[in-house]
Amino acid sequence: MAKTKSDLLQGTLDMLILKTLALEPMHGWGVSQRIQQISSGVLNINQGSLYPALYRLEDQGWIKSEWGASDNNRQAKYYKLTRAGRKQLDEETANWQRLSAAIEQVLQAG
Amino acid sequence: MPNSLLRSLRTIFRIKRTEREMEREMRFHLEMETEENVRRGISPEEARLAALRSFGGVERFKEECRDVKRNRPLETLWQDARFGARVLGRNPGFTLLAVLTLGLGIGANTAIFSVVYGVLLRPLPYQQGGQLVVLKQQAPLARNDNLNFSVKEIEEYRAQNQTLADVAEHHSMAFTLFGGPEPERIQAAVVSANFFELMGVTPLLGRTFAPSDEAHGADAVLILSYKYWQRSHKGDPSVVGRVFRMNDRPHTVIGVLPPLPQYPNENDVYMPTSACPTRSSEQFIANRQARMMSVFARLKAGVSESQARADLSMIAGRMKESYPDDYPANAGFGLTLASLHKELTQGAQPTFLVLLCAAGLVLLLACANTANLTLARLMRRERELAVRAALGATRGRLIRQLLTESMLLSLIGSALGVLLAAWSLRLLVNFAARFTPRAAEISLDNTVLLFTLVVSVATGLVFGLAPALSARPSLVPSLKEGGGQPAVSAGRQRLRGALVVAQVAVSFALLVGAGLMLRSLFKLREVNPGFDPERVLVMRVTGNWSKHTTGQQYRDLSLRLIERAQAVPGALSTAMASTYPLNPFGLANGPNNVNFQIEGRAPNPNEPTPQVDFRIASADYFRTIRLPLLKGRLFTEADDAQARQVAVINQTLARHRWGNEDPVGQRISFNQGQSWITIVGVVGDVRQYGLNREPADELYRPMRQTSGAGYLLVRTTVTPSVMMAQLRQAVYAVDPENAIDQTQTLENARNESIASPRLTTMLLGLFAALAVFITAAGIAGVMALAVSQRTHEIGIRMALGASASGVLRMILRQGLTLVLIGLALGVAGAFALTRLMSTLLFAVEPTDPLTWLAVAVTLAAVAAAACFIPARRATRIDPLAALRSE
Repeated sequence: MAKTKSDLLQGTLDMLILKTLALEPMHGWGVSQRIQQISSGVLNINQGSLYPALYRLEDQGWIKSEWGASDNNRQAKYYKLTRAGRKQLDEETANWQRLSAAIEQVLQAG
Repeated sequence: MPNSLLRSLRTIFRIKRTEREMEREMRFHLEMETEENVRRGISPEEARLAALRSFGGVERFKEECRDVKRNRPLETLWQDARFGARVLGRNPGFTLLAVLTLGLGIGANTAIFSVVYGVLLRPLPYQQGGQLVVLKQQAPLARNDNLNFSVKEIEEYRAQNQTLADVAEHHSMAFTLFGGPEPERIQAAVVSANFFELMGVTPLLGRTFAPSDEAHGADAVLILSYKYWQRSHKGDPSVVGRVFRMNDRPHTVIGVLPPLPQYPNENDVYMPTSACPTRSSEQFIANRQARMMSVFARLKAGVSESQARADLSMIAGRMKESYPDDYPANAGFGLTLASLHKELTQGAQPTFLVLLCAAGLVLLLACANTANLTLARLMRRERELAVRAALGATRGRLIRQLLTESMLLSLIGSALGVLLAAWSLRLLVNFAARFTPRAAEISLDNTVLLFTLVVSVATGLVFGLAPALSARPSLVPSLKEGGGQPAVSAGRQRLRGALVVAQVAVSFALLVGAGLMLRSLFKLREVNPGFDPERVLVMRVTGNWSKHTTGQQYRDLSLRLIERAQAVPGALSTAMASTYPLNPFGLANGPNNVNFQIEGRAPNPNEPTPQVDFRIASADYFRTIRLPLLKGRLFTEADDAQARQVAVINQTLARHRWGNEDPVGQRISFNQGQSWITIVGVVGDVRQYGLNREPADELYRPMRQTSGAGYLLVRTTVTPSVMMAQLRQAVYAVDPENAIDQTQTLENARNESIASPRLTTMLLGLFAALAVFITAAGIAGVMALAVSQRTHEIGIRMALGASASGVLRMILRQGLTLVLIGLALGVAGAFALTRLMSTLLFAVEPTDPLTWLAVAVTLAAVAAAACFIPARRATRIDPLAALRSE
């Protein structure tokens, strides 16, 4: 694994998935591509943990899935944020911002 | 909650669809990734492999996704159960053996627990039954711990106590019911009008007694017991209001009782005190020593038994002071009370606790055995488990799977067990009825079924957990090609050995228990009852007491009965007596002790008054039951009311009161010297009140000098049953109003008297046999596996020149070491179990060396045989084949 790529913190993957799906409904592969693109390739999603995460989020009712046609006209499973998912995303985003601000302060004080 | 449950259920049935969708989704991802790679200029074949690589193991992800999907317990359970069922189905032999042993173990526990719960634990079927007590007037120095009460005494306890909410009385008497095909003897409880209110009983039909029913001259009324109502009226509700002609009066049925345990004895009907001529006579009421009634009471709310006991003892103390003549100082009068619950159950407690322990041990054995089988099977499943672990199943997941299989087994076993228990329930109820009036309350109700469920879950955990926890598949050796014999961890082998040791130990304890009971039963059967029970017919004849009112009339009735019965062909000798040896009533109530004094010996106030078990017998009684005369003479027809008053005593009384002196010619008195009775003979002892009870001091009075007797005894020259019909005819010929019941043979009475120890022995024996069978199977299984695992080693040994007998010895030594350790531990366990049993044994010490030795030898022999079969197989191992197989 390249040094410039960072492993994801535990628990942040869920937030990133929710954020990505907040933009538009997307299939699993799309989610992984999108996260890599937006983070300029810094965040490398382990595809092996992507799907269990998607299943977990769906199980919790934050996203829901339906089958639809992909860009190249193939059947793909699309995931969509639910209302509960949007609320969850807001909460997690707020949490994250508090946490990263706190870490920032600590690092600067050093 | 219902929503998530619904979701769970839906998911279960969608598993197949989910699997398909998961498959499609993964494929889509891989295709997209491959195309992306191709766009980057990688060859299609390489691109696909790269996609796969970056994805990781597809199956592992599927398993993880499945775990996410199925992390709800219900779904996991369903999945595991289905898989478990398939696994069990593929091993029918194992499954059958496990289900059978578990079923027998759980069935035994369910059955015995249903008795223990119904009899010992369930609250009494009376309102606030915990407050009900039985009062007992005792004269410990006169060796009488349950004197009854006189009317005067009851009145004083009722009026003076501070601790009782109410007091009720009860006694039992016989009536004759006419109107049926034959006169019927009815056992009637005569109770005070407040009896049912005090007990908190609501009638099933009609009403219970009102105070007006008890008034002098009130119309005679009846309440039927549930059992009698079922038996003689088949539960017909229109029986209320019907009139029964009993003796000389019509009695109207006013109600029917619900099924209740009856104490102190079983009765057909209930009547108010005014119905009993004796109880209502002025003379009886005035006599403080006319003690006939039992007394029931209800404690006031918040009053403890000991408070009530103290309160009532004070009243008893005052009575003793006020009426010294009625309470002789040397009798040590006193009053105590016991809870009705205890009175109803204490007879059953020792037997059923022992049986519950035994059943529990059998279940433990079944657990150990199934754990052992499961372990053996796990070794063969090592590869399956390793494959599942390699595919991403966690250790927790595997343990859960194995536990689910155990649960499945134990639940199937418990279903079988409940069937077995249901099937044996009737037998058990009849068995329990010998110990307690509460037997009718035994049923497989919800509490018992809940117990079974808890037991079976616990069982599944116990036998499933040890093997499951030992399941730590090491991937590499198990999966290596050709690893046909997975390495067996030493720990697991030790566990299996320990299980065998435990099985032997438990079996030993159970076998010793059963062995002691068997020895005790043999001793009981060997007891010389003192009489010859063969071919003696007995029946109880109840005359209509409103027609025969004087003692003389009764005596004449008895004499005519003898005369008629003697004339029946096949009658060798005929007698009437007040009871007969091993009469069930006597077994339950013990001797009929009466105070007496000996002429020329001043009563010693510091010593208890001499007592004797008093009986009435006609002249031929001794000849009829073949009771030998030892000294003096027997009764003759000349010993009648006009002649000198005489008596015959037994050997024990002669020795006890006269020692080396000759009692013949001595005189005794039952009425403080107002009249004297001369002893004319000494006869042998009879085990009258149980083969296990030492003969009491006994005295017989000739029937012609008393007011008759109720039991007709006939020694026959033919099979007794052949004569039955003709004897009944003879009894009705004397008086068609005679009622006949309790017809049986002395032989039968003797067998019945040891029926409870016999049945207890059978049950314990059954449990022990089960235990030995399970243990033998367990040992054989463990040894067979040990041999198959050592095939290679044994092959080498034999190739290097070990003899067949040497190999045999080696394997036997391995097995018998376990057995011997088990026996040693079993000795400790047996000490504990048999101490509990000491009250059930007769003439056998719990530590009886013969029994212990015999059991040890038997068990060792069975165990050796169980080791021998696999050991023999070891000697037949072909060294070449064994070596080549690796």
